[in-house]
Amino acid sequence: MKVIYPSPEFDDMVAAVCHGSATDAEMEALNELLRKDPRAMDEYLWRLELHSRLASDADLFTQSAPQTADYSIPEKSAPAAPDNIVSIGSTPWTPRKAWLTTLALAASLALLAIGIARIWQRPNAPQTGVTSTAVAMLARSVDADWAHAPVREGSALEPGWLRLKSGLAQIIFYSGARVVIEGPAELQLISQSEAACPAGRLLAEVPPPAQGFRLKAGPLDVVDLGTSFGVAATPARTEVHVFAGKVELIADGAWKQSLNENQAAILEGGVISRLEEANPLAFASLFEFQQRSRTSMTLRYEQWQLANAKLNQDPSLIVHLEFQDLDPATWTLRNSAEHNRSVPTATIVGCQRAEGRWPEKHALEFHTVNDRVRMMVPDEFESLTLSLWVCVKGLDRQFNSLVMCDGFEPGTVHWLIRHDGVLGLTVFGPRTGTLQISASPPVLTLDKLGTWLHLVAVVDGQDRQVVQYVNGEPVGRETLKIPPPYRLGPTELGNWNAKSSPLPGPELVRNLSGSVDEFELFNRALNDAEVRELYLKGRPD
Amino acid sequence: MASECPRPLDGSSAAQQRFLTLFLRSEREIFRYVAAMVPNVTEAEDIVQETALALWEKFDSYDPSQPFTPWACRFALNKTRQWIERRRRWQKLLENGLAEELLHRRQELQPEFDARLRHLETCLKKLPASHRSLIEAYYYERTDMASLAERSGKTVAALYKMLQRIRQALQGCVERQAHQEVA
Repeated sequence: MKVIYPSPEFDDMVAAVCHGSATDAEMEALNELLRKDPRAMDEYLWRLELHSRLASDADLFTQSAPQTADYSIPEKSAPAAPDNIVSIGSTPWTPRKAWLTTLALAASLALLAIGIARIWQRPNAPQTGVTSTAVAMLARSVDADWAHAPVREGSALEPGWLRLKSGLAQIIFYSGARVVIEGPAELQLISQSEAACPAGRLLAEVPPPAQGFRLKAGPLDVVDLGTSFGVAATPARTEVHVFAGKVELIADGAWKQSLNENQAAILEGGVISRLEEANPLAFASLFEFQQRSRTSMTLRYEQWQLANAKLNQDPSLIVHLEFQDLDPATWTLRNSAEHNRSVPTATIVGCQRAEGRWPEKHALEFHTVNDRVRMMVPDEFESLTLSLWVCVKGLDRQFNSLVMCDGFEPGTVHWLIRHDGVLGLTVFGPRTGTLQISASPPVLTLDKLGTWLHLVAVVDGQDRQVVQYVNGEPVGRETLKIPPPYRLGPTELGNWNAKSSPLPGPELVRNLSGSVDEFELFNRALNDAEVRELYLKGRPD
Repeated sequence: MASECPRPLDGSSAAQQRFLTLFLRSEREIFRYVAAMVPNVTEAEDIVQETALALWEKFDSYDPSQPFTPWACRFALNKTRQWIERRRRWQKLLENGLAEELLHRRQELQPEFDARLRHLETCLKKLPASHRSLIEAYYYERTDMASLAERSGKTVAALYKMLQRIRQALQGCVERQAHQEVA
């Protein structure tokens, strides 16, 4: 048996495979065709995708079905005869919940089989594949003064030491445990469910999924049994206060002691010198942390607003999208550059509203292939500077758009992040087909995903160079061979309109996965100091 | 041991909850991954269910900092392979490396598929009521085609032929919509 594509036989075979009625000979014929004909393969996959989407996406059928229905034969078929009109009676409306029930049951049976102890002492998962070895993230900090390079909020933390001279910092372990430390404090991150605090004050909140979180404090292992507890450690003395739930203290394997809610143990010289009542007041600053953190964030947000009020007066500022007044009625973003009205607004297509650098700050999240912010910039430039605050969720595409002019027009630019974390700026020359790509080293490393980053690209027509910056620091500088003028024209943030291709192929899909909460375009080349200043104006903490 | 696990059931049900949350969120995607190899709905569902059990068994090796779906799909691939090994028909379809080729190509085409299928709901609504009912009966209510045939006085083959034609119509509709969008 042989089959060719396209043909009615092919159509029938694909349908038969979906319905489970294909014969061995049909399967064999299809196998041969699909391996030889890439077009048939693509069409086959596409039909299967539609079929499996219908079978798996119950949301497609949210409207209740009519109780009775007639099945007339679709077009291309024999003319409808009276017996084509059928009633299926009162078929009950039965969404498929059975599967879930079966699963839950199976899961609980499996639980017995595996044994409770193994689930309880959840081992730390081995890291697999190309991944970061991070075990926690720094969620927030207030007045934090670090003994090492500053740690930014949202940073992924790998195993190692955090040394806080003063201030407060909250660390969320990937197991779910939340730990607040108050400087001076030293915290060693060991794994996603294990840490050591030889000195300092600490408050741990351990939700049920993270039970078994283990903290080494002085000579002690504090094993959490789903609680909130505080530790105050100095080389000579260790206090453990339990505010909720229960913990177990283990001293070098020598002895064990359970500590219940509202109990505190004071250890001196490796032995419990006394038990007393837990004292939440001793940890008041840590408990208040959330509140203080919020206040500090508000302060930073207000400073940013103030700085922008000044910046918006700059005559070289052509476009400034602050993402603050997202008008839900018109889906537009206002350009707040005071002296330039050539671009009044930008248009939002798709996108989700999201939180920006501070709780009060708005952002737009780009996720699907439709999400984009479009604007029309008519001006021509001798030089230009693009500045963007972005929180990249993942580098899903070969090319992930930052600021992209439509198509490949002369004098325009494409600014994007390659899948390997390289920042790329392409300037298109005056003749079709000429272009220059400036690529940074891979700067968008895994630990930077999920954090707010300030990215800048300077196209300097006077000094003939392209410079790119991450968080105020230059990451690449290259001679620019393509002469001015440069222009943007129709341009998108977070996506790209390829124009040339009617149906986008995978390589032309360049949507960003992440959020943007500020964009600036200047009609001149900002220098290093100015870019640095721009970064300081907007840095989250 | 008992003293070390004072609340084993709480702990286990929390893990179970966490697993179910993750699994149910990924279930559709795992199903579609499997269906690219074994498109028959009931068989693909059986494979996914076997996968669910395997996933739960190995849930303690899952690293929560990593996305769940790719992890789960590795198990789904194994389960599908085992399924195929026991069934000659599927072997015939997927032998000589076709299974791997399909998965690879599907991943490449995924963005395009997703873009087109955004219009699926709109296109479903445009279907004549009778066609929509049959699609719902087959894909959503999972009505047995034999009993539907009996009640409608039509042959099972005729109902399947109708389904094939309705899918064709849907395919044409989403392709047109997606095309208009980019043009």
